[in-house]
Amino acid sequence: MRRFNKDKELLSAYLDGELSSAEKSYIEEKIKSSLELQKELEDVKKLKELTNSSYDKIPESQYFETRLFANLNSKNTKKYNIKKWLPITSLTLVTLGLMLILKFNPNLINDIIDQQKSNLAGFYKENLQPLLYAADLTNEDIFNFAVYKELPLDAANKQILKLGNDSAGTEFFEIKNSGGVSKSNNLKSFVTALDLNDSEKEMMDSIISSYSDQLSGLVLVNDKNSVAINPNIWNTRKVILADILAFAKKHAGQNYIKILPKQVAEIDNNSIQKFVADSRSIKPNQYIFFTPDSVFEDNFVFDVKEFKGRVDELKEKLTALNENRNSLNEFKINFDSTYENHKKNVDKTMRYKIFINKDQIKVNLPDIAVNIPKINLPDFDSIASIIEEATRNMNVVVPPNVPVVVGKNNFNYNYNTVKPRQNKKSEVNLDSLIQRNNVENELKNLKQNKLPDNQLKNNSGAKLNDSLLMHQNEELKREMDNLRKELQKFRNEFSQPKQDESGQSKKSNQNLRNSDVKEI
Amino acid sequence: MDFEEKENMPQPQILSLDDDFSLIKSFIDGDESAFGELVKRHKEKVRNIIYLTLSNTNAIDDIAQEVFITVFKNLKSFRFESQFTTWLYRITINKCKDHLRKTKIRKIFLPLNDDEEYNVLSSINENTDIKQIVRNAIASLPDKLRIPIMLKDLEGFSYQEIADTMNCEIGTIKSRIFRGRETLKNILKPIEKELML
Repeated sequence: MRRFNKDKELLSAYLDGELSSAEKSYIEEKIKSSLELQKELEDVKKLKELTNSSYDKIPESQYFETRLFANLNSKNTKKYNIKKWLPITSLTLVTLGLMLILKFNPNLINDIIDQQKSNLAGFYKENLQPLLYAADLTNEDIFNFAVYKELPLDAANKQILKLGNDSAGTEFFEIKNSGGVSKSNNLKSFVTALDLNDSEKEMMDSIISSYSDQLSGLVLVNDKNSVAINPNIWNTRKVILADILAFAKKHAGQNYIKILPKQVAEIDNNSIQKFVADSRSIKPNQYIFFTPDSVFEDNFVFDVKEFKGRVDELKEKLTALNENRNSLNEFKINFDSTYENHKKNVDKTMRYKIFINKDQIKVNLPDIAVNIPKINLPDFDSIASIIEEATRNMNVVVPPNVPVVVGKNNFNYNYNTVKPRQNKKSEVNLDSLIQRNNVENELKNLKQNKLPDNQLKNNSGAKLNDSLLMHQNEELKREMDNLRKELQKFRNEFSQPKQDESGQSKKSNQNLRNSDVKEI
Repeated sequence: MDFEEKENMPQPQILSLDDDFSLIKSFIDGDESAFGELVKRHKEKVRNIIYLTLSNTNAIDDIAQEVFITVFKNLKSFRFESQFTTWLYRITINKCKDHLRKTKIRKIFLPLNDDEEYNVLSSINENTDIKQIVRNAIASLPDKLRIPIMLKDLEGFSYQEIADTMNCEIGTIKSRIFRGRETLKNILKPIEKELML
């Protein structure tokens, strides 16, 4: 087969007249003896003819030379040369120009980068508003901030800003979902523990509320999901706490010493006042900006008065709608993909360490990054647990908001007229506290005597009276007798909350009886 | 032209007034009309080679213009080691190949069109010209097989001339022409009777 193909190739060349004489003789011999080659010879001949006849002559080009010489002339002109060299020439010129510009303005590129940075910073600084104003801070919130370093970021306390120092002393802040856990009544507990009178309580309230405006300018937010935190907030927290403690020390005296450890109790009142004054005089314009893209520090002047003016103006205009205020209250930082960039850029943003998960953003601020004004205040960090410990047993009762009908008995509540409100601000009512504790004690005693529940229910009135006579002072016994019916109603209405609180109450009963009841 | 100059000629050629070499020499000596004469003498051959190589008439004159512009620019460096036509046809074939390459690249970026899907025999009907069918069949051959066949069967080039023009060995040309013809026969086999092959 290969030989035959070789012969066919020779045959093709034979027809083209391209064989040597030896090859020609060879193939002619082969053709004579092979029918296949004869057929092949015919086929190739026809194919050559077919190929030859399939193409017509193309018409002559009339003005070929004229066009050619015109082309040659145009390509010989300088224009052609310029066109050819234009890209290289212009590139060279641009390069030279840039070299010259950079020689005389070496900081040009840095300036441009700075400009871009400031443009970006400007974008995130736009329309910054104080978040704490939006969160509608109560004295309770400010107290919690001072003691527990936690500030609610929205009115519903769904997110909190937490400040702190890690083990290395580096400041950090974190924004996290509080998970619905809110420390309530801490201030009330503290005040109760100090046993302040009404006017002193008012003074305490006014001291705390005086920091509201100062705090409001320290945390700013805008609709770009950026947060600006003034580093002075770390000091402000200390100062608020110092101020509260100084007042407490001055007015609560012995109670204060009972509650607080010696070193804290020995804080010089005058020096604290100086710290307060120092803190208020420092108004650094440097803010730490936490944005979806980066964390940076930059100067920013926030005019609290101007802002308040604007809000007041808006309030007047929108009193009826009240929408503006609602929108302010609804600020929420999204822990979604917005901040994912930070995770990628962790290595690049060496100056800050950022930890992000779905409920929390934590930013560590190394010393070099934050210019926190130094105020020499004692370390109050341990005070939170001390205050918590001291006030833990101060059980706060939330009485329903009901009118007290003055009759022949002082404790004549009319529960049917007004429904109790769960969210009402807490108030300590020692009388009601004692009453409830006593009732609960009776219930406890009854349970210890292993009375069946139904019997307890049916005979509770009589049994309670008997046990009260045994254990309580005369005044309380009389009161309890009169209150029996009302308490039954009270129990019915508040059976659920009571059950919840009973554990705590049992613990605290003994303390109260020992200290407070004796005084009564 | 004196005797001494004739002695120094790089390649002794039989010179006549209408010889390509003498025209080139005249051009090198500054006679631009000699170039015009060269163009006049070879333009149709060049155009024909382009036509046969590309199988279409649209770009013939543009490519022929480019061929002669290249010749004009490089003629002064012509070394008289081979025939002018060999050099000229090599330039022509190279320009054609460039054109074909550009066309292929351009096709990559064009959307696929079913109409353009090439099938030599699919478009045959009773009115189809046999010559057109053969042209289509030849056009479907790869360049390296098609160009030698065209130069041989239509332009009457020798294998050596084709080899010089395409810058390859004569044995390669011989083989390619044979393979080209075999392929062509296979393409046209279904209509063998009509073609009376």
